[in-house]
Amino acid sequence: MKRDSAAPCLSDRATGMARSVLSEINNLLDTLAATGEAGSIDLRSLPLSDVDREQLEEMLGQGEVRVEMDLAGKTEIWETTFPGVWWIRHRGAADKIATEEIAVCRIPEILMTHPVDIEAAAGRLRAELETTNV
Amino acid sequence: MSDKKTLGELLTERGVSRRTFLKYASYTASILALPPTAATAIAQGIANARRQSVIWLSFQECTGCTESITRAHTPSIEDLIFDFISLDYHHTLQNASGHLAEEARMTAMEENAGKYIVVVDGSVPLKDDGVYSTIAGMTNLQMLEETCKDAFAVIAVGSCATFGGIPGANPNPTGAVAISDIITDKPIINISGCPPIPEAMTGTIAYLLSFGSIPELDHLGRPNAFFGEAIHDRCYRRPFYDRGMFAKSFDDEGARQGWCLYEVGCKGPVSYNACATLKWNGGVSFPIQSGHGCLGCSEPDFWDMGGFYKPLSTATGDALKFAGGAAVAGAAIGAASAMRARNKRKQVMKEGK
Repeated sequence: MKRDSAAPCLSDRATGMARSVLSEINNLLDTLAATGEAGSIDLRSLPLSDVDREQLEEMLGQGEVRVEMDLAGKTEIWETTFPGVWWIRHRGAADKIATEEIAVCRIPEILMTHPVDIEAAAGRLRAELETTNV
Repeated sequence: MSDKKTLGELLTERGVSRRTFLKYASYTASILALPPTAATAIAQGIANARRQSVIWLSFQECTGCTESITRAHTPSIEDLIFDFISLDYHHTLQNASGHLAEEARMTAMEENAGKYIVVVDGSVPLKDDGVYSTIAGMTNLQMLEETCKDAFAVIAVGSCATFGGIPGANPNPTGAVAISDIITDKPIINISGCPPIPEAMTGTIAYLLSFGSIPELDHLGRPNAFFGEAIHDRCYRRPFYDRGMFAKSFDDEGARQGWCLYEVGCKGPVSYNACATLKWNGGVSFPIQSGHGCLGCSEPDFWDMGGFYKPLSTATGDALKFAGGAAVAGAAIGAASAMRARNKRKQVMKEGK
């Protein structure tokens, strides 16, 4: 994602932050493997330059799973080439990125169906069965 | 009006899934600078909350704060906050007018006594018995005191409500004062800026809904999540400052190369706000990125502090006061001012409890 800037700035250069984030991901993966405890990193909170972000995305790559969701704007989730490391990108108004995080877990929570939604689904299906002759 | 059902029940009926809650919560955690793992607690907190009654009072203001919070053009994750609140009174946005509008305010106060939030934009004129701004035959002072009496908390949005702003600028012809100068027995959250960043307003309301408490505030009563760092510290031009590379005018080579705007009057080093990180217009840009120095609009008395195009290092005595703890010569004045504000804040919070 290129910055739409009137003037050049240091955001056009690599700062070494990508490597720091990768080291943190490595630590989180170790923890996940050893204890099962999940972790995450809010990319928006980090002073990543555009080049840093591109480096990070390139180094992590895209693995076997990719999901697109429509939740008040698009959400894109993919497992990276490192199993257990997920890239979650939430888009908001005008398709702009609202927030972005790296989740280190077996499966991101947002992909799991919430019990409340399951209960509502059961009720809705029961109601439809009562009123249709399929 | 507030609903007896929880927000989770209300939105499930409308087909809004918990995944959408979780997405909103992730977004909220990010703008509040909370760890992503806080999203689950935020989603649960909002789902269990009731629609929050909000009474919005507009006094001596320009409606820029309302424009800021309603700036989105398409329904999106950022707008979900409007499903979480019941905006029971707002001059500009409500359909009702005249007596019906005032009845709506009174009804909301009665039905939600002790629970509603009052949002105020604009300063309050006190000179000549407050005649310079009246609504429905009441002075702003009367309406503010009446409405805040049974409120849970007050959110002052914009630099007029938080510090007096432009109406309070020299020579302050109407005797304009900030909300915190009048309301002293309720928790007050100040969200300054001219206008404030929309995410700072909606994020603060989302925090109140999720956790049922006031977020951590700085010495001027502003949420630390949005006002905890100087714009200068998060500015992408900061490395040029560190290297001593400054634009000397708006059309020189330094300006074209995107160098630091300190010497053309940027107030970023003494301005605490989230412009450099959250940015404006959906994250497109912010004033410094567009080539103009920061005006310091989120700081007290920004309008009177020596000129927008004078560098801080050559500013007048008033500007040194503005610089507060950040400028060497202004450090003592800034510290004293901060202490007064901190003491006042403690007193208010104590009395509020």
